[in-house]
Amino acid sequence: MTHIAAEPGDRYAAVTEEIAQIPLHYPDPVAWRICFGFALLLLLSFFISAGVLFANGVGVWGNNIPVNWGLAIANYIWFLGIGHAGTLISAMLLLLEAHWRNSLNRFAEAMTLFAVICAGLYPILHLGRPWYFYWIAPYPNTMSIWPQFKSPLTWDFFAVLTYLTVSVLFWYVGIVPDLAAVRDRAKKRRQQVFYGLVSLGWRGSARHWARWRQSYRLTAAIAVPLVVSVHSEVSLLFAAGPIPGWTSTVFPPYFVLGAAFSGFAVVSMIAVVLRHTLGLTNLVGERHLDLLGKFVLATGLMTAYGYWAEVFDAFYSGDRQDIGTLMDRLAGDYAWSYWGAVVLNFLPLQLLWWRAIRTNPVLLLLISLSVTIGMWFERYMLLVTTLYRDWLVSSWGAYHPSFWEWSLFAGMLGVFLVPFLLFVRFLPVISSFEIKEAAFEEQHDA
Amino acid sequence: MREPSSSSGLFGLLAEFDRPERLVDGVRHAREAGFRQVDAYSPFPIEGLAEELGFRDQRVPWLTLIGGMFGAALGYGMQVYTNESFQIDIGGRPLIANPAFMLITFELMVLFAVLFSIGGMLALNHLPRLNHPLFGVEAFHLTSKDKFFLVILSNDRKFDREKTRSFLEGLDPVRVNAVGYSEEPV
Amino acid sequence: MAGENRNDPIAAMRSHLRGKTGRAFWRSLDELADTAAFRTFLEAEFPPLSGPSDIDRRSMLKVMAASLALAGLTGCGGSPDQTALPYVEAPEFVVPGKPKWYATAVTLGGFVLPALGKTHVGRPVKLEGNRDHPASGGATDAFLQASLLGLYDPDRSQSPRILGRPTSWSSFDAAITAGAAELDRRQGEGFRLLTGSVTSPTMLRQIEALLSRWAQARWHVLEPINDDLALEAARRVFARPLDRHLMLDVAEVVISLDDDFLGPGPRQSVQARRWSTRRLAFQERRGDSRLFVAEPTPSLTGAMAEDRLIASPSRVEALGYAIAAALGVDGASAPELADEERRWVDRAVAALRKTPGKTLLTVGPQHSAELQALGLLCNERIGALGATLRFTDPIAAIPPDGIRSLDMLAQDMAAGRVTTLAVVGANPAYTAPVAPDFRAAMEKVPLRLHVGLHYDETASLSHWHVPLAHELESWSDARAVDGTASIQQPLIRPFYDVRPLHVVMDNLVGSLGGSDRDRVQETWRASWGESFDGRWRNALVRGFVEASAAPFVASAVADRSVPPHRDVQRTGLTVVFRPDPTIWDGRFASNPWLQETPKQLTKITWGNVILVSPALAKERRLQNGDVLQLEAGGRTLTGPAWIMPGQEANTVTVTLGYGRTHAGRVGSNLGYDAFAIRTSDSAWRIEGAALSSTGKKEIIATTQAHQALDGFDFVRTVGQPDAAGSRPDTVPGPNAAGEQNSQPPSFYPTREWDSPSWGMAIDLDLCIGCNACVVACMAENNVPVVGKELVAEGRQMHWLRIDQYYEGDPAQPKSYFQPVPCMHCEQAPCEMGCPVNAAVHSFDGLNLQVYNRCVGTRTCSSFCPYKVRRFNWFDYTGDDPEELRAARNPDVTIRSRGVMEKCTYCVQRISEARIAAKIEGRAIRDGDVVTACQQACPTRAITFGDVIDPETQVSRRKASPRNYSLLEEANTRPRTTYLARIESTGGGAEDGTG
Repeated sequence: MTHIAAEPGDRYAAVTEEIAQIPLHYPDPVAWRICFGFALLLLLSFFISAGVLFANGVGVWGNNIPVNWGLAIANYIWFLGIGHAGTLISAMLLLLEAHWRNSLNRFAEAMTLFAVICAGLYPILHLGRPWYFYWIAPYPNTMSIWPQFKSPLTWDFFAVLTYLTVSVLFWYVGIVPDLAAVRDRAKKRRQQVFYGLVSLGWRGSARHWARWRQSYRLTAAIAVPLVVSVHSEVSLLFAAGPIPGWTSTVFPPYFVLGAAFSGFAVVSMIAVVLRHTLGLTNLVGERHLDLLGKFVLATGLMTAYGYWAEVFDAFYSGDRQDIGTLMDRLAGDYAWSYWGAVVLNFLPLQLLWWRAIRTNPVLLLLISLSVTIGMWFERYMLLVTTLYRDWLVSSWGAYHPSFWEWSLFAGMLGVFLVPFLLFVRFLPVISSFEIKEAAFEEQHDA
Repeated sequence: MREPSSSSGLFGLLAEFDRPERLVDGVRHAREAGFRQVDAYSPFPIEGLAEELGFRDQRVPWLTLIGGMFGAALGYGMQVYTNESFQIDIGGRPLIANPAFMLITFELMVLFAVLFSIGGMLALNHLPRLNHPLFGVEAFHLTSKDKFFLVILSNDRKFDREKTRSFLEGLDPVRVNAVGYSEEPV
Repeated sequence: MAGENRNDPIAAMRSHLRGKTGRAFWRSLDELADTAAFRTFLEAEFPPLSGPSDIDRRSMLKVMAASLALAGLTGCGGSPDQTALPYVEAPEFVVPGKPKWYATAVTLGGFVLPALGKTHVGRPVKLEGNRDHPASGGATDAFLQASLLGLYDPDRSQSPRILGRPTSWSSFDAAITAGAAELDRRQGEGFRLLTGSVTSPTMLRQIEALLSRWAQARWHVLEPINDDLALEAARRVFARPLDRHLMLDVAEVVISLDDDFLGPGPRQSVQARRWSTRRLAFQERRGDSRLFVAEPTPSLTGAMAEDRLIASPSRVEALGYAIAAALGVDGASAPELADEERRWVDRAVAALRKTPGKTLLTVGPQHSAELQALGLLCNERIGALGATLRFTDPIAAIPPDGIRSLDMLAQDMAAGRVTTLAVVGANPAYTAPVAPDFRAAMEKVPLRLHVGLHYDETASLSHWHVPLAHELESWSDARAVDGTASIQQPLIRPFYDVRPLHVVMDNLVGSLGGSDRDRVQETWRASWGESFDGRWRNALVRGFVEASAAPFVASAVADRSVPPHRDVQRTGLTVVFRPDPTIWDGRFASNPWLQETPKQLTKITWGNVILVSPALAKERRLQNGDVLQLEAGGRTLTGPAWIMPGQEANTVTVTLGYGRTHAGRVGSNLGYDAFAIRTSDSAWRIEGAALSSTGKKEIIATTQAHQALDGFDFVRTVGQPDAAGSRPDTVPGPNAAGEQNSQPPSFYPTREWDSPSWGMAIDLDLCIGCNACVVACMAENNVPVVGKELVAEGRQMHWLRIDQYYEGDPAQPKSYFQPVPCMHCEQAPCEMGCPVNAAVHSFDGLNLQVYNRCVGTRTCSSFCPYKVRRFNWFDYTGDDPEELRAARNPDVTIRSRGVMEKCTYCVQRISEARIAAKIEGRAIRDGDVVTACQQACPTRAITFGDVIDPETQVSRRKASPRNYSLLEEANTRPRTTYLARIESTGGGAEDGTG
């Protein structure tokens, strides 16, 4: 908290004002309105694409046999992966008592929330009969037919549902005290009522704080293994099938690390953008960019190991089908997706070895952007290069996403951006009370 | 901690401090002076403050544990029961395939642990509670900003309007307010 | 179907046509088609017909359905013909859900394809082979299976037309009686009758009656794919035309000089059946089965050959002479041969010599009469005549002018000697050779009458068009290729306002009324006399007239002269014509089942291509789909190129049957028209052709993009036929033998299966890739047709596909077929993947797909190593009208949009058998359950049954050392297994014979 005024009392006041004032008097409403309008356009594209899809059937997409999964499932994994960074930053670093997290965790969690919502929508949209999606849930029915609990999809259903619920609760419980702060600063009646309701009448009683802390930390402790389990299960959606290029034990860690990688990249992007637009340079300081850069670099290198392990596995197994799939990835019709992933994920990444670059917002933004796109390439590659040529050469095919798949993808970005912009506009984007607490404790340790 | 009945007209006396350390001291002195119906308010959790108030409540962790165990049992039980109640050969796999069942068992364990934990926390804190006598105090809104408050409730055995006020004055607060039940501060 | 508001548009059209004659008249007909008056009229008359013209094929298939609804409404519904006799003892009254079987037949090129028709409440839903039939023995082909859909074709002509405009039967009757009276006066002078090839005794009787009534009248025959040259060859050698019959069940060595006797055509099912009989004996080491083929373009026969030589048509002739010389046929001098050719001839002749009397040499019926005659002389030398090659008098009637029949007609028409032309069941405007120009000559005829199933190219050039009833809804008779006669009995009453063939034939001579049944009975009453009733009933019940096969005739060689071999100097490319494997000469163009059936060797659907050799493609830098212009004999056609492994370097193959302009909404404007370069004197081959690229590209809808086997062991081969205890080596891959005994290890518990538990064995040594099973599966299981666009996107719905693989050098590859239904894995990955229990295993070993539980996650297909699952990407069936549903098998669920489907082992037939067994209080017997594909297979390559009982046919096959599982390494424990193909090098015969 180096950038905050020396006198603690004033510090508390300053932090509170800086954060609580954003929802009440937004610094740059014009820019926000422009972004929001754009996001709404994307959201419109989502509703149109979904409408066309429901009206005609999955046939409006480019899927076929053998590539009967396409953009939908690739994006599902991509969005979910991005989400994981939020939880990791927030929960893991909380347990590690890393105070610098306090400047990031709030919007990182929000990002998680909306990313998971996008991810959750995809599997439903890609169904042949989406109106029956609830058949995957176990509910008593006259036929006493239950879901098939040995299916990776059923696992995913429970995993995503749990993950969504936990993320919402963790995020909300964490934001309540700051909502109370905004409530207390609110002047307009409408704002007073709104923040009064959502802050649940929080008043900072020491006993409340005590219980709050107990459950907040316990939730954090549980959330970390949850993240690992969720993306491991997603990877089983592939790894459980007997398809060369999927049936690999490296997949769960490979997917989890890749998820963290893409997630940290997106968090970095958001951090850079927010600190600039909301003028939070003294809360989200160079130190944070530096640490984020390090995290991106670390997880990136682990993901790179996953890539290498895959290649090694294929040759080590000596299995003709596995090697064939690998060759299709390196040199097949969709090699662009493989090399796109390798280049975008790992070449710019190497710049992050230098602190100067890590702390340079623009460069960090660009590198993170490249990683985000690169990880999308990877998800696409893992799905398509495996399916378009599997066991029987007679069944080899091709896959070209249709217009409606791309428009739905754009729409999904809208589904992500609209609520996120609302969050930025109307809720405290940074955890003020935790910063104050950190300030208090540091001052004591000092 | 039971609050005084609204018939008494007076909720308690509220002392305002500008430093967390002073609040902690204040709480300690109040306890030493024999006050039990004491509560403290701060913009952020202060290490050790609750202990000073004699807070020993471990129910939230226990609830979390119970929730987790309940969820795990529910998850595993559900999978075993449904497979037994409608037996189907799925790809030659065993009917009860524990490795496959573990994942959902784990997910439900997590889900219910968190639900119990947070639900329990809110319930034990009697939240949501949108109105509270303290909100009547004009300066109390600062508790979410940079001020720290100590309240001695009027239903404390040792509570005496004048004595207690002077006791609080002794802790050199910014100011001391009487907290009433009406909207207007008394 | 009378539109009320027709008067004024008609008047408008009349005024439009007033005073136009000849060509001008027809041209103005086209203009007329665009006038508002005609449109309004058309809409009033046939709403769907006037629908959008440039709609994509899928939505058009829906329009088809809609217009069929209209047809059903206007027609008189489908009550079964009360006088038709059930094949089996059926209940007095129709029990819904309980099918009735009738023995009947459909025809191809005049020849009978014997069939049993399954009807549900009076609606034919499936055709199957007639096991009792002496010639076919239950074998079928794709055409027989698909002809059911021809009955329900909504593009069938539905009312008489004059000048292309619908009119009433009464006006037709008036006109025809007047015309007949006129012809009576002129002794029928100038009257010509043009039919397809005729074997029907009743039809012949009617033709004779007509000719005897009108002495001046003349009868001509047009059958684009015919045996004229074979008959000519027989006439040269035996001094009289004879039909040849290949005794493939006897012949242990067959040399085929470009003769695709296993290929599609009226003889396919019979000859394939005979060949498989020999092959089965060979597998048990009872005699040899060797096949040598020399051909310019790959064929099914070539694919089964142990020794295939690629030779241009002219070299095939040279080979014929070389073999003749080697066999010592007098006057046959051996021409120059390349080493490769020489070696092939030596091997072939050696094989011929090894087993005298059990060998056969066949020459393709498309080759010159000289060469075929030479082939007959060779067969005489090897003692094949009367043994492996036998003769009967021609089954199909030969018209007065024989081979020249059509040319004579064209000449007479051109010379104006024809005043009335009646075309019955032929489509000369499309299939007639371009030289002499039949179409131009036809327009010289003052009165042209077309009688046919469709309003086709010829109908559009005729003044009168008379719609015929489909074979399955009318009475007739015809002969199979062996001469066995069948009585065709209707499975349903006509639901369009149409007339049966034999009624129309009598209309021509002015006699109206009467039923086709009476006319057919009249024919047979004449020959049977007293015993008529019994024999008639027997013929109907059994599906054929007993002992009516043509007797074999002793064939004494009359003329041994051998014309000297003329070695043609090749300049440019050689074009060879072939019938289309799925739509034949175009007569099946409006049949969606056949359109969507992949051509056996190219796997192309919904169109035809120009086959070029890999060498030529390399030289000209051609790729699949490049649109080429082919110039041959001064005429050109343009079509997409397809690189054909095993094609002779400088031979290009074109297939007949596409490029039709009046084949309804399904068949029109697909592919190119090869008839456009076909002349009567070069009907099968043109030398000196030239190929040029147009730079355009065309999308080709193929169901198998990659056909190279790449050294995988999906198709396994063994060197020897089975012998007791022998464990043959298998090439390539691990041992093909006994997966049953040596299951790979597994984490999962081994399950004990109760009997019966179902499984299938497919013998790749017998499969000739003919597609009969594929179409049978579509018919039995209501598999939807999706159209060219969706097939091109990889969304075809076939439950059973036949994979075609090439192995080795593309210039000279080996070719393999592998039918792939669902494997019904015991440890099925698809079931594990399904989150909603839609893919589950049944107690009797079936991998079930529960449609109404499926939500369409498609995980099952992602996890399926065999990719046999098919997904309903769109709603393919939802808005089908009642009538189209009636064409479907009521025992099989119609799948909705968004659900996965796949082969069920015909589970409906299994439960049918189970119920029957329960009622009779017995266990299900082996053979009680016959899957649709198994029934259809002409070579008995597919066996199905209980795999637990070791005595069943399927268990015995699976016990064979040749038995292996596809993708054994995936350890899915398939219930469908394959028997490795035997690639005998002749060694099998050493200790084999006797």
